[in-house]
Amino acid sequence: MRRCLSLPRVTRRLVAGLLITVAPTVLFAGTEEIPLLTFAQLVDSIRADLEVTEKIKSYRGKEVAIQGFIVPAGPPDLSFFLLSRVSALGNYCCEAPVGQDETVYVSTEKPVNITYDPLRIFKIVGVFEAGMRADATYGPSLFRVRNARVEEALGAKIFRTGDFPAPASKP
Amino acid sequence: MTILTVALKYLRGRLVASTLTAVSIALGVSLVVASVLLARGIKEGFIAGATDYNLVVGAKGSPTQLVLSVVFRMDLATPNIGYTTYRDLQEDPRVEKAVPIGIGDAYRGFRYVATDSAYFASLPWRRKTFALAAGRFFADDPPSDPTYEALLGAEAARSTGLQIGDRFYEGEEMAEYPLTVVGILRPTQSADDRAIFFSLSSYWGMNEVARAMAVKPLTAVLVRPKRMSDLPSLHRTLNVAAETQAVLPSGVLLTIFNMLAVAEDVLKVILVIVGVIVLLYVFVSMYSATMERRREIATMRALGARRATVLGIVLTESAALATMGGVGGIVGGHAVAYLAGSLLGSSGLVTNPFFFDVAEPAVLASVVLLGTLAGLLPAVLAYRTEVAENLAPLS
Repeated sequence: MRRCLSLPRVTRRLVAGLLITVAPTVLFAGTEEIPLLTFAQLVDSIRADLEVTEKIKSYRGKEVAIQGFIVPAGPPDLSFFLLSRVSALGNYCCEAPVGQDETVYVSTEKPVNITYDPLRIFKIVGVFEAGMRADATYGPSLFRVRNARVEEALGAKIFRTGDFPAPASKP
Repeated sequence: MTILTVALKYLRGRLVASTLTAVSIALGVSLVVASVLLARGIKEGFIAGATDYNLVVGAKGSPTQLVLSVVFRMDLATPNIGYTTYRDLQEDPRVEKAVPIGIGDAYRGFRYVATDSAYFASLPWRRKTFALAAGRFFADDPPSDPTYEALLGAEAARSTGLQIGDRFYEGEEMAEYPLTVVGILRPTQSADDRAIFFSLSSYWGMNEVARAMAVKPLTAVLVRPKRMSDLPSLHRTLNVAAETQAVLPSGVLLTIFNMLAVAEDVLKVILVIVGVIVLLYVFVSMYSATMERRREIATMRALGARRATVLGIVLTESAALATMGGVGGIVGGHAVAYLAGSLLGSSGLVTNPFFFDVAEPAVLASVVLLGTLAGLLPAVLAYRTEVAENLAPLS
C-alpha cells in the first residue's frame, strides 16, 4: 500500500529538479522588474529651468529603487526622510554637500524597521515622482519617492555624477 | 456535573496551590506585557516629544547631550554659543526660521527655558501647537529692560502650584530677580509641559556674567530650512565651523533607538526564560495535583467516568489557571507600565500608559494555549490511571 502511494524515484527527482530550477525565477521575478535609478541619472535629467527630462518623467508613478544615505530630516519614525548621495555626517570629508538635484524626498506608509546608520547605504523602493512640487510640511522638492520600503544595500556603490557610464534602465 | 464545574471544584479544593500557580503565571505575563508597553511607550514618547525643527545648533560636544537637553530637558545643558550664531542663521538665505534657546537653572526641578515668541508660533509645518490655559505669553522685551515674566508649562504649574501673578525664585542669588507668572500653557504631551519659559532678556538680566558680556550667550538655535535639500549643506557648514555643531534631532533619536533595540533583544531572551520557568511551574503544579488525586481519579473511573472525561478535567484545570493568570498578568502589566510611566514622566520623558497593544488578545490566547499544554502530560497520566491499581487498599 505504502509503495503504491509513494512517487517513483525518477518522478521525485524530476519534481525536485524542476523546483530547484523554477523556484528562484518565480521568487525573484518581481524584484527584477524594478529599475534602479542612480543619483547620476537624476542629476543628468535636470535642465537649466529645473525641468526634468522626458526620460526621467517616464518613471513617474512607477516603482523604482534608489540607493543612498538616509538623512533623517523628518520625524524619528522615518515616515519622511531624505535620501542623499552624500552622508549627512561626513563632516570632514572632501565631498561637497549635495543640493536639490541629488536629494530624494522619501515618505513611507509602513513602519520602518532598520538599524539607522548615517554612514551606511540603504536601498529604498517606492513610487517615483519627478518635477517641482511644494509641500506644506516639507517644502519644495524635485524628486520624491512615496510608499517607500527601506532595506540595507550591502556592498552598494554611490556613483558620482558622470561616473556611471551605463544608460538608464528601461522604464 | 460538567467537566468545567468538576475542574473548578478541584481548583477550589487546593486553593492555595491554585492561587500560587495563577499568580506565578500572572507575574510572568505582567513582566512581558509591562516590558513591551514600556519599551514601546519610551520610543513613542521620544517620537511624540521630538521637535518640529530639523536642526539643532549648539556648542561643540556631544550631539546626544545637545538634543536631550534642548529638546527633552533630560541632560545638562551644553556650553554656550554666541548670540551672533543666531543672527547669522537668521540672515542665511537657506534658513526659513531660527529660534534661539537658552537653557538655565530650574525651579523645583522644572527647567528654565529662555526663548522668544517664535518658539510658540503656529506654523503650517508644525505638528505642535501651544495654547494658553490662563494668562498670556511673556513679552519679547529689549535686553536693556527685562520684564522677568514667566510662562509655565502645564505640569510645571500643576506641580508647583504657581498661579498667575505669583512671584518666585530659587536660590539666594536669584532673590533680586524674581520671576512673575503671566501665563500657563495647556498640556502638549512633551517636555515643554515641564518647562518654565521666559524671555532671553530676562535670562541675560538674571546672570551677572551674561549682563557684562558684549555678545550675549545662548545654548542652542532651532533651525528650519527653506528647502529640506539645503539641510545637508547647512549641517556641514555649521559642523566645520570652529565653535558650533549642528545636529539632526531625529538622527540622535534613531541612534538612541538602536541602543534600545539591543536592550530589547536582551530583554526578549530574559522574557523567554521567564516564560519557560512559569510553564514548568504550571507543569509541576498540575503533575503533583494529578499524582495526589490518583485514587480519586480511579474512583471516578470505577463509577463510570470515561478516560476522555478525566483528560478533559485536568486540561480544563490547566486552561482555567492559565486564563486567570493571563488576564491578571495583562491587567498587572498595564498597572506596572502606568507606574513606571509616571516615574519616567518626572525625568522628562512622556509615555502613554493607557496604550493597548492589538497583540494583547493574541498574548492571552498564547498563555491559555501554552498553560493548557503544560497540563497535557499530567492529563495523559490521569487518562492512563489504572482503576484496579489505584483502588487497592493503602494498608
